Amino acid sequence: MAYILFTLSVLLVMGFVGFSSKPSPIYGGLALTVSGVVGCVIVLNCGGGYMGLMMFLVYLGGMMVVFGYTTAMAIEEYPETWGSGLEVLGGLLVGLMMEVMLVLWVLSLNEAVVVVVGFSDTGDWVIFEGEGSGLIRGDSIGAGALYDYGRWLVVVAGWTLFVGVYVVIEIVRGN
Amino acid sequence: MNPLAQPIIYTTMITGTLITTLSSHWFLAWVGLEMNMLAFIPILMKKTNPRSTEAAIKYFLMQSTASMVLMMAIISNNLLSGCWTTTSYINQPPSLMMMTALAMKLGMAPFHFWVPEVTQGTPLTSGLLLLTWQKLAPISIMYQIHPSINIHILLTLSTLSTAMGSWGGLNQTQLRKILGYSSITHMGWMMMTLVYNPMTTIFYLTIYIILTTTMFLTLNLSSSTTTLMLSRTWNKSTHLAPLMAPILMSLGGLPPLTGFLPKWIIIQELTMNNSFLIPSIMTIMTLLNLYFYMRLIYTTSLTLFPTSNNTKMTWQLENTKPMPLIPPLIITSTLLLPISPLLLTFH
Repeated sequence: MAYILFTLSVLLVMGFVGFSSKPSPIYGGLALTVSGVVGCVIVLNCGGGYMGLMMFLVYLGGMMVVFGYTTAMAIEEYPETWGSGLEVLGGLLVGLMMEVMLVLWVLSLNEAVVVVVGFSDTGDWVIFEGEGSGLIRGDSIGAGALYDYGRWLVVVAGWTLFVGVYVVIEIVRGN
Repeated sequence: MNPLAQPIIYTTMITGTLITTLSSHWFLAWVGLEMNMLAFIPILMKKTNPRSTEAAIKYFLMQSTASMVLMMAIISNNLLSGCWTTTSYINQPPSLMMMTALAMKLGMAPFHFWVPEVTQGTPLTSGLLLLTWQKLAPISIMYQIHPSINIHILLTLSTLSTAMGSWGGLNQTQLRKILGYSSITHMGWMMMTLVYNPMTTIFYLTIYIILTTTMFLTLNLSSSTTTLMLSRTWNKSTHLAPLMAPILMSLGGLPPLTGFLPKWIIIQELTMNNSFLIPSIMTIMTLLNLYFYMRLIYTTSLTLFPTSNNTKMTWQLENTKPMPLIPPLIITSTLLLPISPLLLTFH
């Protein structure tokens, strides 16, 4: 399990190939959920426990659920899946083939051990300073700093998301 | 557009540009560009028909691709230099990606193909905002990164823009497409002296915005979108028909009108830096621009196309459409050359 991060990155790319070969949105959402889970586990392995679990909650449990419901409302009778046409299957196979070739090339390098095993940086998000216990976790204190130092960014991001919904409603209004 | 939605959409568009111009952190500059693009899409779709939907989709695809490339450049610059400030030097590979992304946003060749299509598919006032306000944010970023830009590639993009803008506009009868190609040409001129004296770029941008606003508002008065409809201007607003001539000649860069002043300054900056071939090529290419403006002057005021007799009385009736800002804009876009020492305070 020393090369867990490398394996997870390869699985992430394969999940991305799954939806960028452009099946119907319901299958794309499935591949996106799988890739999201793998991405969360990568974040967890890099030491960001709070960030990873936050991403599970908000991204997968909030946004993907809403996406799944809206695509279920807009579904067609015979959605295009990965094996239903030559275009989607071809794109999937080409992507997977390129990923396999890339992995083989990385493993054949002289410094393959550095890339594969030494890739892990699990201690990244812990800062060894601060009063009290002397240990601050970078990810959870970042969420607090978002409302302190990053107040303007929260206001701008919140306004932009609100205007995003407004814009979508204006565009589909149609009169 | 719903009048209750208009304040939010226009406020967000203006706020996005302001955030981009006033921020010193690269991330917020990108956020401002995205806000601007997001709020501009319903302005492009003011009149809902399939053509404006197509124009909005083309605009969205081009601008979001450019934003993606810009974000990659920002992150790779942070990887290489650790800097998030817009005023510090950018390493060469991210600087190249940034210039490509901003050229895509501005509509410079070879990324210029969307400009005439999007300008054509939208109403005249949306086209005005597309060609004037939407240029402010990318040019402010280019002004801030100008020390790190590769001169050779920028000059290549500028020369290509002038050539493509001039040649592309030759066979057009649709006025919005003509103004789109004119915008491509002017973008090429603007970016020529960015590395040598960036204040000339801002000066050219100011004069270009005044000229383009005048053109669009004058066309909006008679709601003319083709050359044929422009030929009825003498009937609809008789006083404007001979006034189109100096406006269009100023847009083409003829002395002694205002439009000649920024071109003169740019040629002077380039010759001060020992480059003679490039300004000559650009000037000769821009003459093609002047040719299709002269064609518009010909149809507006130099000839009267044959019409039936009962249409010839519209000029006698009182025109009730308000003329927003057109008289001061026409004066500014034709008569500013004598006060040029007052304007050229950056020399």
